[in-house]
Amino acid sequence: MRISLNKVKEYVQIPDGITDAELISLIGSRLVEIEEVIDLTPRYQGIYIAKVVSCEPIPDTHLHLCQIDAGIHNQDFNQLENGLVQVVCGAPNVYAGMLAVWITPGAIVPETYGNENFKLTVRKLRGYESNGMLAGADELGLDNEHKSIAEIDPKFAQPGDDFAEIFGLNDIILDVENKSLTHRPDCFGIIGFAREVAGILGIKFVEPEAFAHSESLKSISDLPLEVKIQDSVLCPRYSCAVFDLKDNQPSKYLTKSAVFLAKSGMRAIDPMVDLTNMIMLETGQPLHAFDYDKLVAVGGSKTPKIIVRAAEDGEELQLLDGKTIKCITDDILITSNNVPVALAGAMGGKNTEIDASTKRVVLESATFSLYNLRKTQMAHGIFSEAITRFTKGQPTAMTMPVLEEAIRRLGVDVLAFADDYPGEEKVTVVKITTERINSLLGTDYDADTIATTLENVGFKVKVPCDAHLEITSPAWRTDIHIPEDIIEEVGRLLGYDNIPLVLPNRPFLEAEIDPLIKLKDELRSILSDQLAMNELLTYSFVSRALIEKVNRDPDDCYEITNSISPELQCFRPEIVPSLLDKVRENIKSGHHNFCLYEMNQIARKSSGLNDDHTPITKMHLGIVNLGDYYDLKAKVLALFNQLKLPVEYIAISPTVASHHPYLEPKRSVEVIVAGQVVGAFGEVKVSVLENFKLQQPISALELSLDKLVEAPRSLKVDLKLSRFPFVERDITLRVDSETPFGRIDQALADFLDKQGLIYSLTPVSIYQDDDTSRKNLSFRIKFSDPQKTLNSEEIADIMNRIIAVAAEAGGEAI
Amino acid sequence: MSEIEKLREKLKGLNSEYAKIKTLPPEQRGEFGRDLNAQKQQILSAIAAAEAAEKNEKITPIDVSAPCAPNQPIPTIKRGSKHPLMTELERVISIYSEMGFDIMESRQLDDEFHMFDSLNFPKEHPARDGYDTFRTSEGFIPPAHTSTMQHRALKKYQHRLADGGKIAVAIPGRVFRNEDADATHEHTFYQCEGVFVSKDANMGQLFGILKHFFESYYGQKLNLKTQPGYFPFTEPSAEFLIEKPASLGGKGWLEMGGCGMIHPNVLKAAGINPETYSGFAWGGGIDRLAMLKYGLGDVRYFESGKLDFLEEF
Repeated sequence: MRISLNKVKEYVQIPDGITDAELISLIGSRLVEIEEVIDLTPRYQGIYIAKVVSCEPIPDTHLHLCQIDAGIHNQDFNQLENGLVQVVCGAPNVYAGMLAVWITPGAIVPETYGNENFKLTVRKLRGYESNGMLAGADELGLDNEHKSIAEIDPKFAQPGDDFAEIFGLNDIILDVENKSLTHRPDCFGIIGFAREVAGILGIKFVEPEAFAHSESLKSISDLPLEVKIQDSVLCPRYSCAVFDLKDNQPSKYLTKSAVFLAKSGMRAIDPMVDLTNMIMLETGQPLHAFDYDKLVAVGGSKTPKIIVRAAEDGEELQLLDGKTIKCITDDILITSNNVPVALAGAMGGKNTEIDASTKRVVLESATFSLYNLRKTQMAHGIFSEAITRFTKGQPTAMTMPVLEEAIRRLGVDVLAFADDYPGEEKVTVVKITTERINSLLGTDYDADTIATTLENVGFKVKVPCDAHLEITSPAWRTDIHIPEDIIEEVGRLLGYDNIPLVLPNRPFLEAEIDPLIKLKDELRSILSDQLAMNELLTYSFVSRALIEKVNRDPDDCYEITNSISPELQCFRPEIVPSLLDKVRENIKSGHHNFCLYEMNQIARKSSGLNDDHTPITKMHLGIVNLGDYYDLKAKVLALFNQLKLPVEYIAISPTVASHHPYLEPKRSVEVIVAGQVVGAFGEVKVSVLENFKLQQPISALELSLDKLVEAPRSLKVDLKLSRFPFVERDITLRVDSETPFGRIDQALADFLDKQGLIYSLTPVSIYQDDDTSRKNLSFRIKFSDPQKTLNSEEIADIMNRIIAVAAEAGGEAI
Repeated sequence: MSEIEKLREKLKGLNSEYAKIKTLPPEQRGEFGRDLNAQKQQILSAIAAAEAAEKNEKITPIDVSAPCAPNQPIPTIKRGSKHPLMTELERVISIYSEMGFDIMESRQLDDEFHMFDSLNFPKEHPARDGYDTFRTSEGFIPPAHTSTMQHRALKKYQHRLADGGKIAVAIPGRVFRNEDADATHEHTFYQCEGVFVSKDANMGQLFGILKHFFESYYGQKLNLKTQPGYFPFTEPSAEFLIEKPASLGGKGWLEMGGCGMIHPNVLKAAGINPETYSGFAWGGGIDRLAMLKYGLGDVRYFESGKLDFLEEF
């Protein structure tokens, strides 16, 4: 929303000594979040009102050669001998005698200000010297449409007048964040905004007399007019008046109201609409005008009969913008004798539109259910200034005063009037103590200070006994319900910045850290710092196609109904697919040796729900490695070794292969920690790699960290220290190629365990020559007796027994 | 004959001179001996110097600007990388933890109750629109703010109030908003929430904690200021800004998040009596902290999975 600071100052006297910058900073800290401060003053410098004295067409062009009375003297332009200034103008509406807006040479065209900053000069056009330009509303940054040059009403300007001064453009516009005022319908009007400005300055706001409610309309009944609200929840109040329109022709002049509307981000249409918009900007109460005769005709009744009701499903209405909508049941309709004439709060109907031939008008001032209008807004995509205000919940108390003010400004005689208000005026009284206010804010304000602060913005405060306050909120404050609402008002108006900062006293209690968070930190340092992997974050939402690429059923995923794109449709059921999806791109940008990992939450429908009926989510670690099974296995071993978690691996059996649909079961294992399967790793299936346009070998791991976090660690260190020397021997065993390495390895380890030796057993190589039926397994064995130095006979004996054990397991020493 | 060989010959000659000592009259022997010793010492040191020079000559200079010697493999150090957002989150968590806050992680799939109802959002209230939430076909919500955990945090740590203590929880996590991504907007980002409840919690303490946190985070004294905000789950509500720290060039203010006193209805919904206890809560984005710190211009790098980006961290 755009707020004109000049307009605010019309309603509140800013004390001397407070600069605009200070005022804006105060508004920003105590009233509303300001997105942008737009100072208009510099963009309207060097622009004046000038009179076109003569205007001659330039032959064979659409241009006119004009001589203008500038009313000012300046060195930057050239005066003719007759004292006038020559300007070439291309607009069709230029004529001798008109008052126009002249942008002088050296001045910037306001439309371009802040972008290309187009600066005018004295230059030749078709051989004629032109000093600056005569500007249209678009070039002045006041309209989007390029039509003609702006003409100024001679009633309030003369040549030489400063354009900005005449039209109030020496102004500062505050572009405020609407979201920070969602609960403040009153601040969506300049008057309400100004009231708050008074409040934060500590001044009593003087309510403008113009909007004081009188009973003047009540007695009028020259014409019949019937208004009926069917459901007061949908429409708490509907007031309207009928009058004859004097003249609704758009003015040929650039009007002050058009400039004000432009400053507020709106466009001038015709006097009737402009007036309703002006009043809405000032009060926050939207108004809507119907063509009376059309309204009566549409309804088919002789006299106007307005019925406000809920729409029926699929009911059609053509709106002012020409679009025909199909209503939803949450829409509220204004009908003429039950025939829809407007989508309440959103837009009028084409069938009752005001136009140049309109003679008689019904002017509506009403309030509607913000909840329904919100659905209307969403269903039909209407985001007008009016519905923005209605969806904040306009108070019922404002419909009448605003209607009366509109009629006063139009200067018309009301022919008929109606005000259906089935409900009752609600008065909110909140009781609170100064102690409660101070204890929640951490302040020390006395009752007087609090009372004055609240009274400044229209609250009525009674202090029945010391430090007890009874606060009656004004009719426009629909947001005040509970004591905390009052506490906010006091804290905000007096300034949160004035609250003394303290740290709460806390006993020295041990803080809990979610063990999963700790485990993740630990994993990050092992994986990144020690195992040289790269940590990735990828989106939690993936495409159905991605899930299908890894042979998983996308129907097991929670699907986003309002996803941004099909790429972001499913909540991911595992991490690895997202990582596989990032491999090709990284290879293409020149990385050939990497291992990616991510830790994040996953969810599957088949996992079921928590006790609180929310989906079970799990924390997973996914790894994708550019390397084969063995390459990844070394990393996984190192990882578990660092974590001090004893781990086992079992081959993937056909019954569980479907749990790991992208892993090649012949080249993968399940990981078992503390007796539980915590995940699996291995080579990714060739067919899956093809789906990602990747080549072998790529290996992957997916682990459930929730299970890992509970597994007991074995922190005991197995120190291989001996006082006596170690013997180191290499041994190579020839085995059938079918013999698993693990069998031989295990047999040797079991034997060494039993010998009471301190030892290490390390695989050195696995060699296979052209004869693929056999392979050679080489080990390095290092051992020492903790009791004595082994002599050569003892060493030979041990080695012989090792060879015998190996032979039993199927390995022939060579 | 090399220099060293000559010296060695000379030394041999000198050694044979020693035999002459016996032939000299006793009164001359002392002086003769000393003279020989001095000469010997001189030759020995000359030999040592010559030997050192010879060794030194064998060491050839290398091209220090090259990555390796000719015909040798270029040494490489394979290093990994930690994601900058996770590193930032870890730092934030450790500060809160040191301040005595319990830490729990935010869920990535939640429901209407936790995201809105328990936080005092009236049904169908326009304030719900401000969060641009995603929904699953079952009506679940990938949360748009970490406040979705407030209700759970209040319940989980209520026993601390019963024990005469305070609730102090920090909740980091990933959140989602249905908005198109551009350089400063992501539909997926990280936040950290703080929740504090005690018998005497007030706004002064809220601002005190925020100031303390950012001073710890940036390692310098910083000013804090607020501007009005609106959140249905806090009353009073505010948005908070911190003075731009010197490490980021100083001058100006940074919007860091929203905060306020927990609405009595939120406390009530979690079974905490708002007459006895009051509390405050706040939340802010982590992506922004990391972007400011590393001077990143585009938030979309974070979830891009590009190693060219990640390997810088």
